Amino acid sequence: MNPEAPRAGVDLLAQTDEAAMFERLSRSNLVTTWRWYLGVAAAGAVLLWGLIVFLYMAMVGMGVTGYNKPVFWGLYEASLVFWIGLSHSGTLISAILRLTHATWRAPVLRGAEAMTAFTLMVGGLIPILHLGRNWRVYYALPYPSSRELWPNMRSPLMWDAMAITTYLIGSLTFLYVGMIPDLALLRDKSAGWRRKFYSALSLGFRGTHAQWRRYHVASTLFAILIIPIAVSVHSIVSWDFAMAKVPGWHSTIFAPYFVVGAIFSGIAGVVIVMAILRKAFRLESVLTPLHFDNLGKLLCTMTLLWGYFYFTEFLTVWYNRNPEEWEVFSSYAGPYLPLFLTMIVCNFVIPFPMLCLKRVRRSVSLILVPACSIVIGMYAERLLIVIPSLARRNDPFIWANYFPTWVEFSVMAGAAAMFVLLYMLFAKFFPIMAISDIKEHLFHTTDRTIGGSTVGSIAQVEGEEEARA
Amino acid sequence: MKHTWAMAIDLDRCTGCGACVVACNAENNIPTVGEAEAGKRRLMHWIRVNRYWEGEFPEAQAIYLPIPCMQCERAPCELVCPVYATYHNEDGLNAMVYNRCIGTRYCANNCPYSVRVFNWYDYKWEKPLDEQLSPDLTVRSRGVMEKCTFCIQRIRRAKEAAAEEGREIRDGEVVPACVQTCPPGALLFGDLADPHSEITRKLKDPRRFRLMEHLGTEPRVVYLKRQKGAGR
Amino acid sequence: MSTVIVGLFDGVETAARAAQALRGLSLPAGSVTTISAVPLPDGAVVTDPAPVRFPQIVIAGWFVGAAAGLGLTLATYLLYPLVTGGKTIVSVPPTLIITYEVAMLGALLGTLFAGGREMGLLRFPPKAIHDPRIHDGKIALCARVEGDEQAGRAMDAMKAAGGTDVRAEEGEL
Repeated sequence: MNPEAPRAGVDLLAQTDEAAMFERLSRSNLVTTWRWYLGVAAAGAVLLWGLIVFLYMAMVGMGVTGYNKPVFWGLYEASLVFWIGLSHSGTLISAILRLTHATWRAPVLRGAEAMTAFTLMVGGLIPILHLGRNWRVYYALPYPSSRELWPNMRSPLMWDAMAITTYLIGSLTFLYVGMIPDLALLRDKSAGWRRKFYSALSLGFRGTHAQWRRYHVASTLFAILIIPIAVSVHSIVSWDFAMAKVPGWHSTIFAPYFVVGAIFSGIAGVVIVMAILRKAFRLESVLTPLHFDNLGKLLCTMTLLWGYFYFTEFLTVWYNRNPEEWEVFSSYAGPYLPLFLTMIVCNFVIPFPMLCLKRVRRSVSLILVPACSIVIGMYAERLLIVIPSLARRNDPFIWANYFPTWVEFSVMAGAAAMFVLLYMLFAKFFPIMAISDIKEHLFHTTDRTIGGSTVGSIAQVEGEEEARA
Repeated sequence: MKHTWAMAIDLDRCTGCGACVVACNAENNIPTVGEAEAGKRRLMHWIRVNRYWEGEFPEAQAIYLPIPCMQCERAPCELVCPVYATYHNEDGLNAMVYNRCIGTRYCANNCPYSVRVFNWYDYKWEKPLDEQLSPDLTVRSRGVMEKCTFCIQRIRRAKEAAAEEGREIRDGEVVPACVQTCPPGALLFGDLADPHSEITRKLKDPRRFRLMEHLGTEPRVVYLKRQKGAGR
Repeated sequence: MSTVIVGLFDGVETAARAAQALRGLSLPAGSVTTISAVPLPDGAVVTDPAPVRFPQIVIAGWFVGAAAGLGLTLATYLLYPLVTGGKTIVSVPPTLIITYEVAMLGALLGTLFAGGREMGLLRFPPKAIHDPRIHDGKIALCARVEGDEQAGRAMDAMKAAGGTDVRAEEGEL
């Protein structure tokens, strides 16, 4: 960050040209290239296509998809779990790193929180997309209606509705409140319509001492609150399956298994998004190999955890050979073998050895390989949970295989495009780097000479009493 | 009087002819989906006749199992519907409310007997086939679940007739379409709350069993085991 | 609307010296504050005398949310009693789940609104004291004074400690 040699004992922020740093960190807001327009146009086009195909499906009927009896849930529902799983990225990275005061957290906070908010928006849309009568989705709302009926709170789908709503509000609030100091910064540095825009959004934040103190308490509280919400959300999504009388679904391990899988895919998602941001907005000096190294270590841990949970589930079924469950698992060696192999190879065989190597973790291009592999593997895992259990369920006479049609692929591609579009628009109009957090980190960091070496030393304010010495 | 409707299926008598399926389709405005959709496993039969093979050729034997909706006492499908489109009514039947269904298809996933069917399209009855539609019940739109109702329209008819005449429903007055049509008389329907009804007597048979009883669904459809013997 | 003396300082050290000098003026508590681009530790330059109160509202919000969730679930069960799956009309485990989720929502909204209110957000006072140069590494030290004599002494104290662009402004601290 600083061109000259750092002066020991003086905090790094004082040695930084803050105006230049602002220019560098806000490149996404200040500079718009043709690539951005192209990206937005492409994402918009795919989103439009997905929307048109969805309307076609809604008007003609679900028959245009690949669903059948008994496979009544397929690509849409697996994608729902996948997108909600990806939303655990921001919660883990941002909330947990904030609470543990991890020193490297600042550059990844905003990107991860934004990813949570937008993947959740996509995931929250899918329960409406997959309905047979989407236009009647409001039946699930509790309001005094002429039908004189409220929803059934015993249904896991209603728990889903409550949980996803709470998590969506929570993650949007978390993202927004985290952005307020940066929006104030942008307000002070901009003019014209931008100034009005940021003035409205920064809600009059100025940076007085009292404001900062309360802001710190509020952000900490959000971080504390969002973690149990995130855990409960994915547990509830897993209970859509665990509560059912479907062999292979009715398992008590589903709640922690899904949460672990969500965090797993979420961190992989954050790695990919960070790598893209780094390249697109030339943030090489901010998102350093150290960050990818630490994310890679987390990812390696999650690979092991995921493998552990999957093995446990497999072991229980294999050992017991309960006929109903065994038929489901046998299908993994049959028509679902490609999906099964994809999952095992992409979730464990490729990532684990690679992530053990420091050389891989410290190289942004190399770490993308296990990260992308994990995203693919986790999608395969979601498909493998939903489809074979239904395809090989209780009554063998009605067993059937399932394959999605172009309709399902198009609608899901549109959903993915929606995420890309939202993210690109966000990066354009909002600060994609947590500038205030980065500045705060630099403010607390000094270079300390210990013997013959110079190390970065970070001052931690543990509590109020200590600072008031 | 509180009714406890139940069905007894005598597997000794079932020949697998499928007349019950045809009768049910005719009675309940069930669309014929066509060969292509049938190949995609989208048949909409409310009652189906399962066929299992036992043994190898030339001693192979077919076992037929008609499966209507079990009208489970502890129906797993009722629990998971987010909008109460299916619930347990006073007669102990699993009621289906078509115009409330929003099509989440969770109930179908939760039915271990896979008796629930979904309207994948808006099916049309071209003239003059529309004249065969029964006016006692609706034609369901796309996106709605449906299933066997024990011909609830016939139960209602019988209740109305009995109430008009100021009497109780007689045993044998309510006959669902499948029961009415079954040529060998394998299906029997009646009120278990009536101690003198034919079904109460029939279900004292030691051959009785219920399908997938270990799942705890407490079905109202009771099967009578097929007895194996010479020539069977 | 009061008179506020504002001075820009290059770093924490100079700002702290100025704040030390201002303490000699015996201004009432809460009259002196900093405006900075990064949060300064409490006591580094100024201390915040007012305790942070809104966490209690957050806890209250949790309970309000829990009551709302419980009420919603029980109302749904009891107003529309339908037997499903042989379960009791008032089913306990789903009630717990919904209650928990709405409770967390209550706590979140409590943090958002109570925290926002205590931070003084969304008020947009017409003449709030602010200096955009804080984003270039400066710290603005502000002292609310009464009368010209106090104003003069405050300005002298800030200039002596190394403050630049020390001025008197009319506005809200």
